[in-house]
Parts: sequence; C-alpha cells; structure tokens
Amino acid sequence: MSRPFPYTYISCPCADTPVPNPARKRRSRESPQKANPDAPGTDEKGTITEDEEEEQTFDPRSPRSNFSLYPPEQLLYCEDCHQIKCPRCITEEIVCWYCPNCLFETPSSMVRSEGNRCARNCFNCPICTAPLAVSTLENVTVNGTQQGPWVLSCGYCMWTTLDIGIKFDKPTNIRTQLSKLTDSTSRGRQMSKSLGDLKSPLSTYASIDEHLSAAGDNGGPDQSAEPPGPDARFAALKGFYRNQIAETSTSPADPLGTDFAGGFSSPGALNRIMSLYTSSSRLSSLYNKKPKSKPPVMREALTASEGLKVPAPNAEDVVVRRMASDECGWDGVASIEQRSFQSPDARFVDDLLPLPVLLRTKRSKRCKSCKHILVKPEFKPQSTRFRIRLIALSYIPLATLRPLTISPPQAGYPTAAPTVPNLDSLLPLKPVQLLLTLKNHMFDPVRVTLATPSVTPGRVGTKVTILCPQLDIGANSDVWDEALQGSAPGEQRSSRSGAMGIGYEKVAEAGKVWDKGRNWTTVAIEVVPGTLPGGGRRASRANNDFNDGDDDDDDDSLDGKNFDWSGQSKDPNEQLQPDEDVLEIPIFVRMEWDSENQMEQSVSKSSDTVKRELAYWMVLGVGRISPELEG
Amino acid sequence: MPPKAFKGEYIETDTGNKISRRAQIHGTQRIILGGKTVIQTDAVIRGDLYRSSSSHASSTDDPASAAPSPSVAITVGRYSYISKQAILRPPSRLHRGVHSYYPLKIGDHVFVGERAVVEAASVGNHVHIGKEAVIGGMAILKDFAVVLDGTVVPAGMVVPSWCVVGGRPARIVGEVGEGYGVEGADGGLARERYRLVGR
Repeated sequence: MSRPFPYTYISCPCADTPVPNPARKRRSRESPQKANPDAPGTDEKGTITEDEEEEQTFDPRSPRSNFSLYPPEQLLYCEDCHQIKCPRCITEEIVCWYCPNCLFETPSSMVRSEGNRCARNCFNCPICTAPLAVSTLENVTVNGTQQGPWVLSCGYCMWTTLDIGIKFDKPTNIRTQLSKLTDSTSRGRQMSKSLGDLKSPLSTYASIDEHLSAAGDNGGPDQSAEPPGPDARFAALKGFYRNQIAETSTSPADPLGTDFAGGFSSPGALNRIMSLYTSSSRLSSLYNKKPKSKPPVMREALTASEGLKVPAPNAEDVVVRRMASDECGWDGVASIEQRSFQSPDARFVDDLLPLPVLLRTKRSKRCKSCKHILVKPEFKPQSTRFRIRLIALSYIPLATLRPLTISPPQAGYPTAAPTVPNLDSLLPLKPVQLLLTLKNHMFDPVRVTLATPSVTPGRVGTKVTILCPQLDIGANSDVWDEALQGSAPGEQRSSRSGAMGIGYEKVAEAGKVWDKGRNWTTVAIEVVPGTLPGGGRRASRANNDFNDGDDDDDDDSLDGKNFDWSGQSKDPNEQLQPDEDVLEIPIFVRMEWDSENQMEQSVSKSSDTVKRELAYWMVLGVGRISPELEG
Repeated sequence: MPPKAFKGEYIETDTGNKISRRAQIHGTQRIILGGKTVIQTDAVIRGDLYRSSSSHASSTDDPASAAPSPSVAITVGRYSYISKQAILRPPSRLHRGVHSYYPLKIGDHVFVGERAVVEAASVGNHVHIGKEAVIGGMAILKDFAVVLDGTVVPAGMVVPSWCVVGGRPARIVGEVGEGYGVEGADGGLARERYRLVGR
C-alpha cells in the first residue's frame, strides 16, 4: 500500500503450498482450460470440497496475501524449477562483509573478532544513530597537517565525544583508541587470565559446597581489585564456562559424558553421533557398566576473575537518586532505544559510547528446492554488477498500468472534463478505462491469457472487464535490431505515448488489443469502482437503475461475515476498514510459449522446442475510491 | 484539450534537456546537464555556489578543469529528473578555516522528488530521492540507493548500493530487490518519465 498508484504486485505461489510440489505443475498442464490451476490447497488438502477450492479467486485483501504478494522486481526465477521464486523460496549465502560507511570489505576471518562491526573510524552517534565525523578541536595547522586533539562529532544532533569526556590523539584507528580509553579490556583480560590460571584447579571441585568455602576464603583480594569492564567480564565468563564443559565431560569416548556436553558445544554432538557407529564401544559401555566415579558437577561463576559481578547493595538506590536529581532529569536518562545497543549497565546519557558501525553483507541467492544459484553478485563491495542474476522480470511480462486519459462517452454519463482521472480519489460507479501494457523480455513470443473475477472480492465490489483477455506478445529482440530498423520503432513509441493525448478518438473495443508493439501489447480494462459501505448508501440509492441488484447483494450477503475491528461504529456496515477503499484487481495471468530445449539438445527429438507455461496471480493497485459520489 | 501553455512550459536544449521556464537556475555556466534531464517548475539549482579559485589555483583534482569555466558546481547525468521545488545546492565545508563549496555530482536516471533538498557530494546512478527528503552536506548516495519520502540523510552519511534509507536521521531500513532499476520496472522508469514531460 505504500507505493503510489498504480502499482503491480505478483503473488508467489509458495504461500499456498508449503512444499514446492511438482504435482501442481503437472496438474496445471493437464487441465489448462481451468481458469485457476494454482488455487490453494488443491493437492494435499483435497478433503475440502475440491471444486470449491479450485474456483477460489485470489483475494488481495485476505491476510494470507500479505505473505505472498511481492513487487515484481523482488522476485527471482529459477530456470530449473520453471517457477517464480520469492524471498521466501530462496536461501542466501554471504559473499562478503563490508562497512556501509567506509565501504571497505572486512575479511570473514576478522568479522567475528571485530564483533561484526567496522574496525576503522566509522562510528554512529549513540544519541541519534547518525554517522560521526572525526574532527579536530583546535584549528591549528603545522606543516599543512592539522593537529589534534581529535573528537568524534555528530553533524545531526551536535553530540561529541567531549560530552563523555573523550578525546583522541590521532585521527586514525579510533576504534582501538576508544577501546583503550573506555574499557580496560586488554588490561582486564590479562588480569583475569592470570587470576584464572591461578584458580583453574578450582573448577574441578566436585561439589559446590566445597567450593563455596574456598571462594569465601579468597573473596577478599578479588573485590579489592579493580572491577573489569563488561568486555573483559564476558571474556572471563566465556573462558570459565568453556573450561567447565571441558572438565565435566570426562572423556569424548564416553557416550554419557558427551551426551551431557553435547548440549553445550556442537563438536560434542558430532562426537556423539560418530560414537553411534562405533557400536562396539557403545554396546560395551551399555553392558558392562563399570561403577563410575561421582560425575563432576558444573558450577556457576563465583569470583570476579571468573566474570561474576555482584553489584553494590545500594546500586539501585544510587541510580534512582541520580535520576531524580536536578542535574540529570529526563534528558540525562538514556532511552530504551539508546540502551539497547550499549552495555547493560548504561543508564544515563553520559554512559553512552560511540557505536562502531555494524557491517552489512552482500549475499548470493539459491533456489531452496533445486539449489541452483539465482543471484550471484560481484565480490567487491562497491560493485553493483552481478555474475548471475535470474530475475523474474526477464521472464514474466512486465505489467504497467495507466489510466486512459478520457473516459469515452458512456450512456447516461456526460463526457467528463478532459483530465487524467485522479487515482487517489476514484468516483464510485463512474467507469474508468485503464490501459494495461505487458512487455515481454523473453526472446520467444508469448501467448498470455488474463482472467479476473468480474467483481473484485471484498465488500467494495468493483466491476472489472478486461476487454481483450487473450493476447500475444512479440518476442524481445536485440536492441540493435530495433536501432537498425530505422525510425520505425521511434514512431511506434511516439504513437504509444501519444495515445495519451489523442486517446479520446480511439474507442476501446472488446476482443481487440488496444495497441501493439515489437515486444509489448496493451489491452484496455474497464473498471466501475464500487461504492464504499459508508458513503455508498446515498450513491446506491441515487443509482438504483445502474446496479441495484449488485449492490444489494454485496451488502446482504456479507452482513454476517464482516467484523468491525475498530469497534467505533454502531453499524458495522457503515464503518470503513483501513484501506478497504483501495481498489486492487486480482488478475490471473497464464503465459504459454515455446522455448528452445536447452537441457536436452544432444538428444535430437522431433522438435527442438518445448512448450512451457507459467501461471501466477497478479494484483493491480488501481487507486483509492473516494467516499463521495460526486467529486 | 487543455489550453496550450504559453510557448510550452519547457525549453528543450540540443541534448534533449527539458527545463522549465519557471525553474530558478543560478550560475548556468557552472552547471553541466548530461542530456535528457528534466528540471521542473520552481526547482532551484545553485550553480553560483562554486569553489572560489583563489584558494585553489591548482585544482588538478577537478575533472572539469579543462572546461571553459574554471570549476563546475553541479553535474547532472542523463535522464535525471528534478521535480518541482526541489533544491540542488553544492555542499560546503569548513576546511582548514576556509569555507568552500565542493562540486555536486548527480548520476544518470536519478529522481529527485518534490521539495527535496540535495546537498550531497555525489549521487550515483538510478538513485531515487523521495519527496521532501533532505540530503545533508557531503553525503554520498551510491548507485541504486533509495531515499524514502521525508527522510533526513545526515551530513556525511554514505548510503551503500541497493540500500533503502528512511527516518530522521536516516538509517538503512531495507534493500531493494535485484530487479530494481531494470528498464520499465521500479527504479527504471526514467526514460518513460522523460518522455511524458512537456506533452
């Protein structure tokens, strides 16, 4: 709905069938005369009356449609499955990591150690997330180079690192400078390592009680030491638990031991699987259960060197008192959004640190069912080219919709002013003619069949008539062919766009295409927008002779089914639900073409061409119906 | 038929640029249009804001130094479209105590929405700038970037290719599909847009 009118969405059939099912394709081939071979659930869920399902048209307003409708440029096409692939039908593989700010690539080996963030000078403002710039404090130049000290400053909210009292000596390598300044990581890590080495025998304590006394003994010196920063604590905790797992799982060959550890580390799980096949050891361990020693018990971190942090008893009070004080106030407290990217201890604006920019990725895409690569970008982060790019737009006809400038004189309707119909407020019950152009990007001519329900689904029933539902589109050819043909294509093009100006002379006829070009065909669609539930009352009464029965049908049949989600109106019929006034036309597109059989060219068959067909639902967003009858 | 506008609203140049007579274009000799560019009514293009050559006698980095004008303020590529009331201003920066302007480069097939303000250092090809967006000074929009309506791209921000930014300040909120920018589809409508201007 966010797109401006008119727009086109294409429904990926994967939303209806959870498993990509070749049977569905076969079915559609067997019964091509059916209007809707891709109806949801025709194969597995045959328990529901199948015919009914078969006839079901696609409702762009149904909640399920949200998950299957995509703008055409997001769709891919798998040449092996001969199917449209939406972002849910593919798997992605990372080609490279890069910083969106400096556009430098980060090697995959470095990504983890750098915390998935840019290791250079790229930072985001902790207050507003805008990028920070490195700038100098004093405007002194010596020998043409600027001198420090340097700060990071936000050009958007004017925050600088001076607000948290940080200056840098050099304008480069800010990340390492910052980590040295703010967090005693390197120092803390060394400290914890040395302490941890001393304490490593502790981790083999069989019971916690035993250890508690020991911890109580040497609790004094730990607390006297400077508390390590959050990063150092995390490193200490990680090391501690890794040790614990290693110690408690006695031997990798023991199935029980690895069973236990398997929950913590994946290599253990692999070991367990492998040991399944060495059946002798498994059986022996089952049958002669030798009395084992008491299994070692995992314990939690108990000292600061292991990463435990016990906050001071009055820590909460201090925080609350500071929040309530005058110098802090509302502005001094960090918001939830700001805190979510910071260390968990950060409560105030002063605690917020500049955020190194998160890396982004370039990804290649594969078909989920056949694993063929659909998209493979160039490796370099800055490049916008692709090595492989199988987008749906080069296979399915590209649909563009535009209103016919002047609605031809209709019985009972005087010719409107010669203006382009305003798609944001279509008048109810006033026929609008639209031109749908389908452009073929394949090098084979395509035969297209369009089908649409005569009245759009939903409460606002809009009558839709495609004047020429069967059409042929010529093959795409090289751009050079067009150029070498001289001015003819140019004339065609001008006539095509000129149709907007002289359109009133031409009357759309049923069964005839509106216009045709080398690889495109335009058909006319006539639309009679329905009346909205609230404002349509007056309209339907005023136009009783026009579509009396139809309007009544809509209201009566749907009375019981519709709920008023807003709960504001007494009469649910009068209440317009959000975006119910948007006119969206579902169109079933079936295309057939003869393609060269590239797969089995060596096997010389009787004919080199294979008949292919593709069918999908397309939704045309035409416009918004205005509540008033007269503009 | 609507009454014909006086002599046509647009001036069409030799290279096919369609420039509204009511656009405000300053310093025309420092503006390069690549051809088939559309500039609509009340758009403001500040070619008069250029780097004064006094501080930069040897501007070797300027690619247009060979052009008759000493420095170019604004370059716009082919099939770009500057909507009504949009403002193009070369970015400026205080560098070593001197306030100077830098050239604004706009690529091909770029769309600048209504009432947008662009002070970017460079705008790549096939970039879409929504209406009422603000592109801050020295920002860089790479090819196929999309700036949503009403976004404020902060000064100095880099928007990578294929990324969609939105919000104030702008953040990367998504990516466009691989088919973006294909002729005739979303992001590839520049030729069609050009064709329909001035009819």
